[in-house]
Amino acid sequence: MPVLANSSVTQDAYQKESDNIRERFEQTHDGQAAVRERSNLIDSLIRELWTQTSAAAAGAEKFCVAALGGYGRRSLFPYSDIDVLFLHETALSEAAQKQTIPRICQALWDRHLRVSPTTRSLAECGKLHRDNLELNISLLDSRYLCGDEELFEQLHARVIPKMVAREALELQQRLTDLTSARHNKYGHTIFHLEPNIKDYPGGLRDYQVACWLSLISELEKTGVWPAPENLLPNAFRQECGAALEFLSAVRCFLHYRQGRDLNGLTYELQSEAAAAGIGIPDGVPLAPAAWMRTYFRHVRSIYRLTVLFDEVPPARSGLYRLFENRKSRLSNADFSVVEGRVFLRQLASVQDPSVLFALFEFIGRHGLKLTAETERCVEAALPSLRQWAQESREVWPYFRRILVSPYAGAALRAMHRLGVLVVLFPEFQAVDSLVIRDYYHRYTVDEHSFVAIENVHALRTPDSELERRFRDILDGIERPDLLFLAILLHDVGKGMQADDHVAGSLEASAGVLDRLGLDPAEGETVTFLIAKHLRMSATTRRQNIFDPKVVEEFSETVGTTERLKMLTLLTYTDVKSVNPEALTPWKAEMLWQLYAAAFNHLSRTVDDQRLTASNANSERIREVVAAAGEIDAKHITSFLEGFPKRYLLMHDAGEVVTHCEMYDRLKLKDDEPQIDILRRGGYFELVLLTLDCPGLFAHVVGTLSSWGMNILKAEAFSNKAGVVLDTIRFSDRFRTLELNPTEVTRLRRNLAEAVSGEINVVELMEAKFKPASQGPKVKIEPSVQTDNEYSQHSTLIEIIAEDRPGLLYDISSTMAELGCNIEVAIIDTQGQTATDVFHVTCAGTKLDREHQKKIQAALLEQL
Amino acid sequence: MTKLEAIIQPSRFEAVKEVLTELGVEGMTIFDVRGHGRQKGHTEVYRGREYTVDLVPKIKIEMVLADNLVNAAVDAIVQSAGTGKIGDGKIFLSKVDEAIRIRNQERGAAAL
Repeated sequence: MPVLANSSVTQDAYQKESDNIRERFEQTHDGQAAVRERSNLIDSLIRELWTQTSAAAAGAEKFCVAALGGYGRRSLFPYSDIDVLFLHETALSEAAQKQTIPRICQALWDRHLRVSPTTRSLAECGKLHRDNLELNISLLDSRYLCGDEELFEQLHARVIPKMVAREALELQQRLTDLTSARHNKYGHTIFHLEPNIKDYPGGLRDYQVACWLSLISELEKTGVWPAPENLLPNAFRQECGAALEFLSAVRCFLHYRQGRDLNGLTYELQSEAAAAGIGIPDGVPLAPAAWMRTYFRHVRSIYRLTVLFDEVPPARSGLYRLFENRKSRLSNADFSVVEGRVFLRQLASVQDPSVLFALFEFIGRHGLKLTAETERCVEAALPSLRQWAQESREVWPYFRRILVSPYAGAALRAMHRLGVLVVLFPEFQAVDSLVIRDYYHRYTVDEHSFVAIENVHALRTPDSELERRFRDILDGIERPDLLFLAILLHDVGKGMQADDHVAGSLEASAGVLDRLGLDPAEGETVTFLIAKHLRMSATTRRQNIFDPKVVEEFSETVGTTERLKMLTLLTYTDVKSVNPEALTPWKAEMLWQLYAAAFNHLSRTVDDQRLTASNANSERIREVVAAAGEIDAKHITSFLEGFPKRYLLMHDAGEVVTHCEMYDRLKLKDDEPQIDILRRGGYFELVLLTLDCPGLFAHVVGTLSSWGMNILKAEAFSNKAGVVLDTIRFSDRFRTLELNPTEVTRLRRNLAEAVSGEINVVELMEAKFKPASQGPKVKIEPSVQTDNEYSQHSTLIEIIAEDRPGLLYDISSTMAELGCNIEVAIIDTQGQTATDVFHVTCAGTKLDREHQKKIQAALLEQL
Repeated sequence: MTKLEAIIQPSRFEAVKEVLTELGVEGMTIFDVRGHGRQKGHTEVYRGREYTVDLVPKIKIEMVLADNLVNAAVDAIVQSAGTGKIGDGKIFLSKVDEAIRIRNQERGAAAL
């Protein structure tokens, strides 16, 4: 027979009221009303039980009952534990111990309520329980229920405020440490396919932690209990209030559906909640993906509260603090860094866009966090940024620096959270929190793009041999900023009303590229990457990548090794960033093998892939003709005829026209070599147009080396008319040209003399060349491969060697000495490794086996 | 009942899956695998370094079929996975004594 069966709050009455609460929730979906009503119902029940048991026990000691935790906050979810405190002043009487407390608990258990009782004295409540911090925290939400009211008042007005004032720092530190451990357990991300709406980052627990931290801080400062509605800072109140309302409704829904305190939002329950319009104004049913988008937006608002957790000074090891304090040395004139967080020295400084961009670049470089105050200042600067961005053409120079910084993902995420990214790229709003609901895409589309950028940067510290291979590809990319921009924009079309998202992304990115003012070649690269971002994974999935025809067809779509590298990394990170397990070693291996096969194809067949009169009617040539103005189209095609197709892919229309004009001058001035030296960012570029002659390439690179220039990349092509176009990119080791601009003219003259044979390059090298003062850090094993299979009329020589000043001169002069004529050269440097591909002939034909061996031996001796 | 294991080219997987579904095969388990048969793989050179592709990526399909479906399933796989070249893969068949559906303990072909 149940204890207290004659209670006026009978089993039936309790059940009936519980059912009423549920019914009202089913009608209104008002989760906060439901948890309040449920708290009131349990209050009545406990008070009723108290009246009966205390009368029966006839105890006259100082003793009372209080609600704790969520129940104390009047936020009791349908199947949550009911935390109850039995508070006494002195030792409890036998009557209280054996009758009142057990009878109340027993009566609640009989009603299938999960009561968690705790019996404590006033003195115990005033202590910090390091092994049971939950008790101290739950006391912060204590609320009087019944019994000795004066005793509870002592607890509430004196004991708790005193304990908090004394232990505030430790309470806050322990609370943030527990939160940090919890976030760590769930991967520090709000993005989960089936989130737990209470415990996962951005869940109800985080909301509550923020409230507790604020409460502790207020109690410590003033000793007065703040009003619950004023706990969160103003800036967060509205958004987080809406999020709390939403999550309360969802949690009630989960409890009622499952009949238990289960808070996991499973895939099936997401569909049910969406169909019922849970948490949506007026209960409008939504598609599951749209409902989850609402969910992520709310959770993101709560996750923003974690910025408040960072304000708590960490209680961590001396070593950790030392590490964090080292970051303080990063402080500069605009920003100061304290405990890994960035403060603005002048709060209004971010109204200046250059400082605002510098702030995010700072985050991107050092992986720091912003303080809540800094975030508020950034948000206040958005109107002026919006106005500036509409008129300015300076966004790209600032933004590209953020993209290439090692913590770009964190910087972009902060920019998006604070609204900066959408001010700069309104197109990005379309994918804000957009859910792709297929149980495979773990992240929303915006987050996927940030994770994808992070995953490329993470290749700098590879964890496996496969990752090392992809890292090497990244090291060889000349313009990673363009790759990162393409990654950021590649899926924007998913949020647009386009039949296929690639078309949508291309449409959106066209506007972005135009506003950013990228030059045509840069824009073309980004457009290419977005247009083809599905091509490589589709090829690995649907075609036999070991079939040479498949490789050839794929390679032709890509065109150049430079684009191939970028497309490979975009594909790698696009798959890897769908979910942490999406890029299996199997898939990564397939991707790598297609890359290697296509790379070999592109670099080895360049000599055979030439522009002819029949294929000269391409879209690119039409672009060149359009850009050429007065130059006759026939004249342009005759200049282009015979160049490798790669030439047109490596140079934009404007550059081709410039080369064409140089070609005209060459003819007008009796074949006088045409030389241009341009400064491009941190390096120089030499463009040489002249008639071919033996040893030409060696003369040019020898002259540059004798001037102390270090050759980074080079291409040497010739057309049908025997005109050679060399494009050589070099760095100025001794800053000769930078410090003495007039020396550019002398170098140009020197090069012209070397080409025409007026000076002896061998003597020049002997007299002036200065080898590197330091040896290499990593030893690169040299290799020389020759092959007669790849081209119909030339021999391929592929050289891998340790890069050093003068290397290219040694290679090309050795070839010249052995009677080789360079038809095509593609020179690349990746870190300390030089990768040089030559297509050579001897007396107009391929090299025979003997000749190849001789070359190999001679080159290996040089290397 | 017969267990059918097929090792096929990854590029043929979509086609194989389609014909099996059309045939009425209701469940299958797919593995990304690597291996070699008589083809033994090959050596590639990339940037001066040799790397051996001795284990070639393949897809393994596993399913247990009622005996009356086996021949049709084998034919369908051979038709859709075959290119006539080395490396097309193999099919293995073996007898299965019993099948049990965990949810309701159904046994035999009814559990498939």
